[in-house]
Amino acid sequence: MKWDLRQRPDFGICQLTFDQPGEQMVVEASAMVARDSNVDMTTNMKGGLGGALKRKISGESVFQNTFTASSPGETLWFAPGADGDMECHIMDGSHSVMLASSCFVAAAPSVELDTKFAGVKGFFSGTKLFLIKCDGQGPLFFGSYGAIHAVDVGPAGYICDTQHIVGFTGGLDYQLRGVGGLKGFFASGEGFVCEFKGQGRLWLATRSAGGIASFLQPFRPTKN
Amino acid sequence: MNFNVMYRPSGAMAQVQLEGGEQLLAEAGAMIGMSPNMNMETQAKGGVGAGLKRMFSGESFFQNTFTAMNGPGEVLVAHSLPGDIVSIEVPQSALMIQSSSFIASHMGVTTSAKVGGFKTFFAGEGLFALRSEASGPGQQVLVGAFGGITEMQCDGNLVIDTGHLVAWDAGLTYKTQKSASGWLASFLSGEGLVCQFEGQGRVWIQSRNPREYGTLIGRQLPPA
Amino acid sequence: MDHQITHNPSFALLEVNIQPGELLVAEAGSMVAKDSHVGMEVKMNAGAKAGFFDKVKAFFIAFVRKIIGGESFFVNHFSAAQPGRVWVAPTLIGQVAHKKLGGGSFVMSSGAFVASMGDVDMKMKFGGLKSLFSKEGLFMLEVSGTGDVWFNSYGGIEEIEVNGTYILDNGHLVGYEGQLEYSLKKAGGGFISSMTSGEGIVLEFSGQGKIYMQSRNIPSFVGWVANMLP
Repeated sequence: MKWDLRQRPDFGICQLTFDQPGEQMVVEASAMVARDSNVDMTTNMKGGLGGALKRKISGESVFQNTFTASSPGETLWFAPGADGDMECHIMDGSHSVMLASSCFVAAAPSVELDTKFAGVKGFFSGTKLFLIKCDGQGPLFFGSYGAIHAVDVGPAGYICDTQHIVGFTGGLDYQLRGVGGLKGFFASGEGFVCEFKGQGRLWLATRSAGGIASFLQPFRPTKN
Repeated sequence: MNFNVMYRPSGAMAQVQLEGGEQLLAEAGAMIGMSPNMNMETQAKGGVGAGLKRMFSGESFFQNTFTAMNGPGEVLVAHSLPGDIVSIEVPQSALMIQSSSFIASHMGVTTSAKVGGFKTFFAGEGLFALRSEASGPGQQVLVGAFGGITEMQCDGNLVIDTGHLVAWDAGLTYKTQKSASGWLASFLSGEGLVCQFEGQGRVWIQSRNPREYGTLIGRQLPPA
Repeated sequence: MDHQITHNPSFALLEVNIQPGELLVAEAGSMVAKDSHVGMEVKMNAGAKAGFFDKVKAFFIAFVRKIIGGESFFVNHFSAAQPGRVWVAPTLIGQVAHKKLGGGSFVMSSGAFVASMGDVDMKMKFGGLKSLFSKEGLFMLEVSGTGDVWFNSYGGIEEIEVNGTYILDNGHLVGYEGQLEYSLKKAGGGFISSMTSGEGIVLEFSGQGKIYMQSRNIPSFVGWVANMLP
């Protein structure tokens, strides 16, 4: 299969063209936009009931759709729900990728997805307690609110705001810390930051969901 | 110092590269990421009075100063709403900025909240506009907007819908007026009030009106 | 007339340079800026030489657009004695596309209209339940004639050339060329599968022509942001 990521970074959308009959792509529920009529769609709870339950808690959708080509040249279009970018990382089996749970869009069936509890760190880091650990080989598609900015983290490390993490490669680990002392922690508007150490790639979103949510809050209808 | 604006227009972010010892003044909460050698200090610039005025104008009470320690460093900054960012060199005659559009500036720029009086109040954009003044040439300010930013030349006169104003040269004069000749026609036209600019200078506009967008999306959200 | 569209696909801004004698019709409330000497008149959406019957039709279209599409009832007519510029933009985030009409017809979501110039005729096309379930509202807007039409989308626009059949998720349709037909289908094999897939109902197009699809849809965005609300 081959793919073309279009409309980046404003509205990432993937046009996937299958080369062989039987080729498959696993897509997050409701992310399909269009397809050739002959591309088959089946819906499943990936990882069984236990896996589905974990995904429900982590904010992913319980169901995923598997699309299968019936003849060469058929196309499939998919896009995330939020206004923003989409990136494709080709997994080669040498490292895993950790994704914020709401950022997953699609992957080849040969990529294994496992929802991981990120503990207290996850609670404060805006990744909603859960990270998806991706292993195996094949293309992995993920999206963001805003554009995706990649940072190659070297020996010096890198600091980022907790609300802007999309994902990172397995060679990295992070710690929560405050910046600017006590006053900085409460008044800087930054609160906790994440300090990444190790060697690998970090993907940041240039906008956070919290920003648009608090802007829209006063425009919501009120009860009664 | 170098401002590198990326991902225009919807997920725009400024990558600010600083030489050792250089400083950047930024709105609280604007930082997305930074190299670990950046030192962040939080303060209410200009004292409590200036901080309060900033707060009422839709900006934050505190601001953060980032300093590159022991060599060059970088800070990534953006505003919270989707939209464009431009850097503007502050002219000797000062620059007016619509409240909440200020993101960051060189240390030589003084930005203060200005009571716009009834004029800005009727313009529907809140009581305050910000006025940026520069200590000398080459001092820049980073301005963010909801929508794409277009720089327009006012050559005599120009009419701008009040919800689309971002910034303008302080040397321009403006008055708020009905969009059509009569009140009824103004109302029906959906344009309401517009700003009539006069003189020679630059006006920056945003291609979307945040309040109209908020109203349209907000009414589809679950009640609060 | 010449025009340019900047900030596509997310924050499109349309700039139209009007020559004397030309008339730009734009959705009420969509003006961003204009040269001071460009005149603006609020009208019901009827043609320039509209007779009584046309006005009744225009009223009907405006009424439907207001009630069903959440659009404004009125349009603004821009004209100028000397050349002048007008900038217009839709309310939602997204793209503005331009289509030159040369006799053929084009069907679009009733909310997609941004502006037109020339001898452009609009009529409401009753889509029935089919149209309602496709999240396009009960009516679609069919434009024909000769002239220029600008329309907007939520998300960016992709053109798909259909030759045979093609499936589009509901909520992603912006417009299609008049010779295409579509029917509603369940997304997957069975009823349960269709419901749990998150895709529900899809549109199956057949015939030959272009579909204009948008890369995002409002219900998905609203669902996403609703999860993030404080």
